[in-house]
Amino acid sequence: MNDGPLIVQSDKTLLLEVDHERAADCRKAIAPFAELERSPEHIHTYRLTPLGLWNARAAGHDAEQVVDTLLEYSRYAVPHALLVDVAETMARYGRLRLEKHPIHGLVLASTDRPVLEEVLRAKKVAGMLGARIDDDTVVVHASERGNLKQALLKLGWPAEDYAGYVDGEAHPIALDLSDWSLRDYQREAAESFWHGGSGVVVLPCGAGKTLVGAAAMAQAQATTLILVTNTVSARQWKDELLRRTSLTEDEIGEYSGSVKEVRPVTIATYQVMTTKRQGVYRHLELLDARDWGLIVYDEVHLLPAPIFRMTADLQARRRIGLTATLVREDGREGDVFSLIGPKRYDAPWKDIESQGWIAPADCVEVRVSLPTDERLVYATAEPEERYRLASCTHQKLQVVRDLVAQHAGQPTLVIGQYIDQLDELAAALDAPVIKGETTVKERQRLFQAFRTGEVGLLVVSKVANFSIDLPSAEVAIQVSGSFGSRQEEAQRLGRLLRPKTEGRTAHFYTIVSRDTVDADFAQNRQRFLAEQGYAYRIVDAEDLPA
Amino acid sequence: MVHADPARVREAVDRLVDLALAWESPGGLRPLSGVAEGLTGGPEAGVSGLRPCSTPTPAAREVTRLLGELSEPARAMLEHVLAAGGEATTDDARHTVLPADAATPAEELLSRRLLVPRGSGTVVVPGEVGIALRGGHTTAERVDEVPVPASTDRSERQVDAMAAGAAFDAVRRLELLLDLWGAEPPSALRSGGLGVRDLRATAAALHVEEATVALLVEAASGAGLLSTAADPAGNQVWLPTDLVDSWVLRPPAERWTGLARTWLDSPRMPGLVGTRDTAGKAWNALAPELAGVHMAETRAMTLAALAALPPGTCLAAGTGVPSVVTLLRWQRPRRPRSRADQVLWTVTEAAALGVTGLDGLASYARDLLAGDDEKAQKALAGLLPEPVDHVLLQADLTAVAPGPLESQLARRLQLVADVESRGGATVYRFTPGSVRRALDTGWTAVELHDFLGSVSRTPVPQPLTYLVDDTARTFGSVRVGHAEAFLRADDEAALTELLHHPKAGSLGLRRLAPTVLVSTVPLDLLLPRLRELGAAPVVEAEDGSVHVVRPDQRRARTPREHRGRGAAAARRTATVSAVVTAIRSGDRAASSRPLGPEASLSPSGSLAALREAVEVGRSVLIVYVDNHGSRSERVVDPVSVEGGVLTAHDQRSDDVRTFAVHRITAVRPISG
Repeated sequence: MNDGPLIVQSDKTLLLEVDHERAADCRKAIAPFAELERSPEHIHTYRLTPLGLWNARAAGHDAEQVVDTLLEYSRYAVPHALLVDVAETMARYGRLRLEKHPIHGLVLASTDRPVLEEVLRAKKVAGMLGARIDDDTVVVHASERGNLKQALLKLGWPAEDYAGYVDGEAHPIALDLSDWSLRDYQREAAESFWHGGSGVVVLPCGAGKTLVGAAAMAQAQATTLILVTNTVSARQWKDELLRRTSLTEDEIGEYSGSVKEVRPVTIATYQVMTTKRQGVYRHLELLDARDWGLIVYDEVHLLPAPIFRMTADLQARRRIGLTATLVREDGREGDVFSLIGPKRYDAPWKDIESQGWIAPADCVEVRVSLPTDERLVYATAEPEERYRLASCTHQKLQVVRDLVAQHAGQPTLVIGQYIDQLDELAAALDAPVIKGETTVKERQRLFQAFRTGEVGLLVVSKVANFSIDLPSAEVAIQVSGSFGSRQEEAQRLGRLLRPKTEGRTAHFYTIVSRDTVDADFAQNRQRFLAEQGYAYRIVDAEDLPA
Repeated sequence: MVHADPARVREAVDRLVDLALAWESPGGLRPLSGVAEGLTGGPEAGVSGLRPCSTPTPAAREVTRLLGELSEPARAMLEHVLAAGGEATTDDARHTVLPADAATPAEELLSRRLLVPRGSGTVVVPGEVGIALRGGHTTAERVDEVPVPASTDRSERQVDAMAAGAAFDAVRRLELLLDLWGAEPPSALRSGGLGVRDLRATAAALHVEEATVALLVEAASGAGLLSTAADPAGNQVWLPTDLVDSWVLRPPAERWTGLARTWLDSPRMPGLVGTRDTAGKAWNALAPELAGVHMAETRAMTLAALAALPPGTCLAAGTGVPSVVTLLRWQRPRRPRSRADQVLWTVTEAAALGVTGLDGLASYARDLLAGDDEKAQKALAGLLPEPVDHVLLQADLTAVAPGPLESQLARRLQLVADVESRGGATVYRFTPGSVRRALDTGWTAVELHDFLGSVSRTPVPQPLTYLVDDTARTFGSVRVGHAEAFLRADDEAALTELLHHPKAGSLGLRRLAPTVLVSTVPLDLLLPRLRELGAAPVVEAEDGSVHVVRPDQRRARTPREHRGRGAAAARRTATVSAVVTAIRSGDRAASSRPLGPEASLSPSGSLAALREAVEVGRSVLIVYVDNHGSRSERVVDPVSVEGGVLTAHDQRSDDVRTFAVHRITAVRPISG
């Protein structure tokens, strides 16, 4: 019997025993073709998916290598059917190739005529293909390159893309490494992206995804379009790029609601890109305004649908997507992969934490009981009102007060969903509140004050969920959220994960009402983090040290 | 003459003589009469198409000369006929022509007696011509070269590991399948098989292909683990037998040996499942006709071919199976064509059952083929993963058993957690639902904590502890019971008195709350008994209001006057009056006929109208359609309506008759 760290299940999941002495080697060996699904304390779960196997093929691994790896590390016999399936799945890749033809431009070529015939007859690709040149070659409309790839993926015959990328307009960009250096994982991420051509890099919040973007730009040496979630985060990108690269103020343009500059490096917000005027997306032209050599999608899990469609037209340009949590509540992770590119790099949060690049966090769920009168109101309320009622209970106010008092002196965020509740909390705690209607200027002022320590306590709505860099925050108290959104929970925890001075632990509190939908949603929200290895402690409100 | 090494031919001939299939006559070696006839036939029969020689046999040289004279098309035709079994049909060729007059290739051949007519347009190649064409041999290919299976080398250890994995998997899946069918048995087809839909559903539930399920159920049924029985509704279903209960307790290696032995000796052909027979009917798994006489032999021969390879040598991918087919065809040339399929099935089934791994025979399977089941079992047991007695609990509310769990432990875990993924290891997930299920079967929260603590190698994560406690806290907070009636009173003392009344024992009273009692006696019995006990209860309606009723005063209906009581004279009068009534009833029928088209009543409408007439005792006009379809109108006095039949006194015929209600198209009350 083999004493490997890996157990291969017949449902195509791979269980990796983390404490095994060969676990690290095994992880490296299976990472190219298996996708990390969960990484709790003892056993990490990977999954073999067609997409993952095809990505491995694209990266130059063949079925034999995959099978050998599985056999080498597997503790028990590997199900025969699974091995056959791996070989068959991988053999489907590359039967079709997208190529540049000297005369006809972009063409779809095949070495396996029946496959080509099957694809030509599929309804999904109708309209994307042009005239047939010979038995094995068909013209592809250049603008359909992305759509075609996506459609072929769905048909199960992924095309290998030999058509390459346009270089774009050259522009010198270098990292200014005088007072810092890229971390190992950042360098690995940028490199594996560059070798792959396009793709998504998944790193935890606070692990420095901006720098991965900057490193990618330095490699591209070309004009770059950066798409970010909002204006505040656009400014952060700009500051970070000014500090870490050779780019100067004049080279970086901002394209947002207030300013519209197009410069060699342009930072645009998703919001402005998707603004419609008279039924047309006027600003999508920006994508063609310059001959961009690289497009960076920040927080790619939030990529809005119109940009999705535009991205399909941008297949000839290099694209990098950055995210911490590739869980989309709308289930469109697959679209992200096929349009931006496959996942190029992924690291478990706990690994980065153990390397000291993100702060350790203590996650606590505080349970409050609804008083009898509120329970009665809750019990008779309409289902759609229940979450609001349960999550806005007054019991939480007292708990927040206790927690704030307990962590006095530590920069604290109170995060919630409902504005009324936030206003009430802000009044009770005598703290400034940032919500949707707060102006960008005011937001920036408050965030700045928080960073410098002038303000020790902020009450924020969901506007602060993403991309707001608040390195000093040490405590977050979550009173309500967008129902059961897993990625929101992860993003909120992410606000706390910038490494702290003296390696202090961050504290993340979630206050939930016992025996209500609030608790059910909380459980769903915590699932992603629990699967990343963040174990929640549960504490009764009564047991909190006052 | 035989295309082989002379020494080998002598050996073969000696053997034939030993077997008394041939004998040495003074004129040379002769086959036993009947043997030659038995051997003729085309390639469908599996032989090369040897034909009797024509008599007198022309010299070989003569035949060669004649062959040399042939034109190109004629030669091609002859070779084609020979390849097709030495027999062909011609429609228009003349049988008696001279070589010089031959107009067609067929005539060319016939004229030289290279083809011999055998009546009704059939022509055959005579033996000596065939031999001449094959270069003086009875067969075109050498027959003393034993075909060798195409093989590749693998490590013996890998083959064994693969096979043992598959063996373990097969046993485990069969256990799951039996569990599944024990809970939700699939119905048996009238023909005795298993429906395609059930097969598919089982395959989906077990995450295997349908072919594997077919193989498993066939093996299980062969081993007596599955059988048909009637379910409570009287339908035939497939159920695990009582053997299963002892079977699951045995170690996996022993279970496997039993299954593999059954499979080896079985004539069943699960490989056919999913295909259609010549009549286009789909083959169903477990169908009685799914068996073949040669199956067990083919299986044994295929595995023997594998066993002949050195350990660790496997069939080559792609070319391996056809090469085994060739070998088997050489060994048994007269078996039917379907043998190729059977070889393929054997190889795939052997892989699925774990007899082979990577298409090489496992070491323990060699013992099995040698007939030493016990040794096979021991060898396999050494290869199977050790059962583990612990799990790893994780904060995301999953438990991972890093290996096959001990049977008892697995069953208990399955109760408290849902299985998420199976394989070498098992992943369980705890949910409020699964914990509640455990509580439902009588576990307590404390027992659950103890159990989790004892099976986990790692500390029990706090969220799991909370999950158990939370579920246990709300468990049973609402209680449901059965009662026939309730009693409530604001006066607690009155209820207490009732409860303790010496005669109240039979009422089954139980106190739920200070002011509420329940009783197991239904209301209509309870009420008088309570009154006897001196209480003065009132009945509460469903909406909570008090319902006071006077006891019903029952009344019978006043009987109708009976006609013709007794006397003959009265009957005569009655007859007269009946005649008059009959005449009048015709008039009345006419007078009560509606002016417009009468509205036909629905059966339920007529029923209601007839019932009313019975109650009131009124004569009605009915429109009746008899079994010949003719429509008549009658005036009747309804007596009763029962079971769709109206019994009524027909005034016209003066007789009590029955009418089928559904034939009554209209009912009309008659006044007067």
